[in-house]
Amino acid sequence: MTQSYIVVFKSEADMPGTTMSLGSTLYNKTGSWRYMRPIYRNRTSPCNHACPAGEDIVDYLQMVVQGDLEGAQQRILAENPLIGVCGRVCPHPCESDCNRAHLGGAIAIHCLERFLASLPGERKLPQTDHTAPPGAQVAVVGSGPAGLSCAYQLARRGYKVTVFEALPVAGGMLRVGIPAYRLPRDVLDAEIGAIEALGVEIRTNTRLGHNLALDDLQDYHALFLAVGQHRSRRLGIPGEDAQGVIPGLDFLRRVNLGERVQIGPRVAVIGGGNTAMDAARCALRLGARQVTILYRRSRHEMPAIDEEIEETEQEGVKIEYLTAPVEVLTTIGKVTALKCVRMRLSDPDESGRRRPEPVRGSEYTLPIDMVVPALGQEADLSFLDSAIHSAGGLILINNAAVTSSPCTFAGGDAATGAGTVAYAIGSGKRAALAIDRRLRGETLDGFPPLAEHVRVAARDVDPTVVQFEGINLAYFQEEARTPQQRRPAADRVRDFREVNLPFSEEDALREAKRCFSCGTCNYCGTCWLYCPDICIRRHPKEEQPSGPSRSAYEFDYDYCKGCGVCAEECPRQAIVMEEELKWKK
Amino acid sequence: MEKVIMGNHAVSYGVLLSRVQVIAAYPITPQTQVVEMLSEFCADGRMKASFIKVESEHSVMAATAGASIAGARAFTATSSHGLALMHEVLHWAAGGRLPIVMANINRTLGPGWNIWTEQTDSLAQRDTGWLQFYCESNQEVLDMVIQAYRIAETVLLPVMLVLDAFFLSHTEEPVDIPDQSLVDSFLPPYEPRYKLQPGDPHSFYGLVAPEHFMELRYKMQRDMERAVQVARQVGADFGSTFGRAYDVVEKYRMEGADLVLVTSGSIAGTTRVVVDELRTAGQRVGMLKVRMFRPFPFAALRESLADAQKVAVIDRNISYGHGGIFASEAKAALYGAAHQPLIYSFIIGLGGRDVTPQSIRSIVSYVQEHEGPAEQIIWMEVKK
Repeated sequence: MTQSYIVVFKSEADMPGTTMSLGSTLYNKTGSWRYMRPIYRNRTSPCNHACPAGEDIVDYLQMVVQGDLEGAQQRILAENPLIGVCGRVCPHPCESDCNRAHLGGAIAIHCLERFLASLPGERKLPQTDHTAPPGAQVAVVGSGPAGLSCAYQLARRGYKVTVFEALPVAGGMLRVGIPAYRLPRDVLDAEIGAIEALGVEIRTNTRLGHNLALDDLQDYHALFLAVGQHRSRRLGIPGEDAQGVIPGLDFLRRVNLGERVQIGPRVAVIGGGNTAMDAARCALRLGARQVTILYRRSRHEMPAIDEEIEETEQEGVKIEYLTAPVEVLTTIGKVTALKCVRMRLSDPDESGRRRPEPVRGSEYTLPIDMVVPALGQEADLSFLDSAIHSAGGLILINNAAVTSSPCTFAGGDAATGAGTVAYAIGSGKRAALAIDRRLRGETLDGFPPLAEHVRVAARDVDPTVVQFEGINLAYFQEEARTPQQRRPAADRVRDFREVNLPFSEEDALREAKRCFSCGTCNYCGTCWLYCPDICIRRHPKEEQPSGPSRSAYEFDYDYCKGCGVCAEECPRQAIVMEEELKWKK
Repeated sequence: MEKVIMGNHAVSYGVLLSRVQVIAAYPITPQTQVVEMLSEFCADGRMKASFIKVESEHSVMAATAGASIAGARAFTATSSHGLALMHEVLHWAAGGRLPIVMANINRTLGPGWNIWTEQTDSLAQRDTGWLQFYCESNQEVLDMVIQAYRIAETVLLPVMLVLDAFFLSHTEEPVDIPDQSLVDSFLPPYEPRYKLQPGDPHSFYGLVAPEHFMELRYKMQRDMERAVQVARQVGADFGSTFGRAYDVVEKYRMEGADLVLVTSGSIAGTTRVVVDELRTAGQRVGMLKVRMFRPFPFAALRESLADAQKVAVIDRNISYGHGGIFASEAKAALYGAAHQPLIYSFIIGLGGRDVTPQSIRSIVSYVQEHEGPAEQIIWMEVKK
């Protein structure tokens, strides 16, 4: 390499036409001037941070943008085998935290997930290394989302898994809690079928504590309890056991199992959760003339998913807020009316919601033929023995999903009470990873707290969550969220066919392109373009990785002066600047 | 192919045919349509060029210069205040020896706020080291864009081609748009001697101490001088390729003319009509159209005016405290010449006021009635 030297021209003829160095400037390693060093370091996107199932959402959205739909599907399936389910029924906390919300509306992530779930062709569940010790077998109790997720993750690692299901069909709440108009049966059947195809055996009509005892499971090396919460909470008011009062979960279970249920022409559903909405909408579909939901707080406190409340109202269900039943009035043991009292909200309680209290003297009577209490659910833990501890109606577990009995793990609603499919899936996955480690004799330290998610195919990502303020708005314009179409309300109350319609490929691509890709390099080239020292090397397009490494650029630190333009310009905070001294330490 | 198009679009077609690779622009009335059409060419794929939107004309010229340093054929267009804002970077483009071509639509500088034509904006940039050509018709505009690149890339200096606001920019005329293959044979791809490139980096435009600076300027002036001959050669070659030859000046009905009207831009078109009229009436009047203003074609002017008795220079511009700018250049050109005609300096049409055939007749009458100019500047059609 040439060295610097001083040139003195003897005549103008020797000089170039303009002022430029005749020699190369490569000898001048300007990297030595640097005080700050840019580093490609992906940060955490709010969607990834929020997803209880531990999906790498930002990664798969970028794969959709790149046109790798199969890859995107496989990427989710590595974390969650029930993507057709989640794309339909998950309350999508990812969207609640999405930074795009401030610039045209959150990305319709659930619609994209559903789109990927329904790619044509036979679905293949992604391969992974077999880590199971020879002959290792695990028993899973409960075939709901937690049990299925655990069974899937174990089976793909080579474990022999047997799932015991109390009901005559597999799926838990997915099967008997969620009606077909939200989750078509063929979608559920296919996803459960794919898990069975991995060698998982599901034994139905086998209820723990009834025709199965914990002792019967001695041969299994580990046990995962995911029995769910299938018992409705009681109203606790006079007349509750009258003919015509049917608890919400019982009602949904009977409807979903295809049993004939007598529907009163006038139905009152008590409660504000998704079970209440589903019960009301099922009653409507089964011929109820008038369906009213009674909720003791206001719309603001209502726990049901917003879209579901909206859909329920569209279908003609009346929701009465700030009212609570005080007595079921009967004639010859049969419901005739509901005595209610108006409520008002006072100070917030321990859940943070404002506590309802009755308004004195505001009692009124509502003529009704059928009452469906949907006040929440609880687990039936009567099968537990003294070795497995529970408290407050939940099985006690630590961060590795271990109960007080070392080889018994637990998860799902029975252990967490979390009540969402996505959380149950994350919970089952956590247990599977822990069981795998335990059976291989590894330590169970290092699992994140239960409120955080676990990921199978984790990327090396900084835990800092990118906020909207971190997005460089010079690069994004306001673009409206792609709406999900629904069948007309008048049409959909006639049957149990699916209410929400799928995204077209065009919708999916447009929507994925709206994603900021928060904290996640998507090869936009902005750093490369702006670097004033031309010291960023870009891998050729065909060598750019499609997840999970997500870095297509390298700094040439011989020349990078550390000006920080790359980090400043990066539209999505995927570059950090670190002090050089600290780096050298 | 013949098309009826406005002057602004004649610029755009010239740029398209010249296979320009980078365009940076900021819109300003009356230039906007030039770059609007170019942006469409870039968007629909007719041009394989990068179109860079920038936040000001200062940045326009910086981006254009950057593209040119990197070896791309670069173009921009502007007008009036936009050109004024570029001023600093115009020096960098010329001193950097970058063969950029820019169209400037002559527009009055404010205040008072005015969007109509006047040459003062471009003439105020005469000392920046840019070549300047003034066009009379839309055909000449298109032809000049193509010639401008060949001239610029030969002498390694930037070229500004100038057209009048509205009289050319927004007026539609039939224009022959030559075949791309013919243009390609006339204008080969730009191959820079030096360029900025990552693999073989050089430093550009660094500090130059007094011991070398004068030589750089000496070389620049020498190439400016050479540009006159280059432009004549390119104009002649253009004639043999496309059937329309150009020179740095155009002599119109000058044979035996006692009185010569010297002018430029669209006023030349009006003057042409009046000259025909007067010739028919038996008067010995001719016109000298000055196409190239920088470098100033001293020799051509001197030779053209060798037999004239009286010369009327018609300026739609003013150097405050001095006078008409073409007039002062003409006087300088004739200083020391063996034959010294009388020079009358007319200022007319500032701020876009219409210059009509009657205006030109009045100028001729004035010259015929006065044995010499009664004033240093003869202001035409001022409401006194």
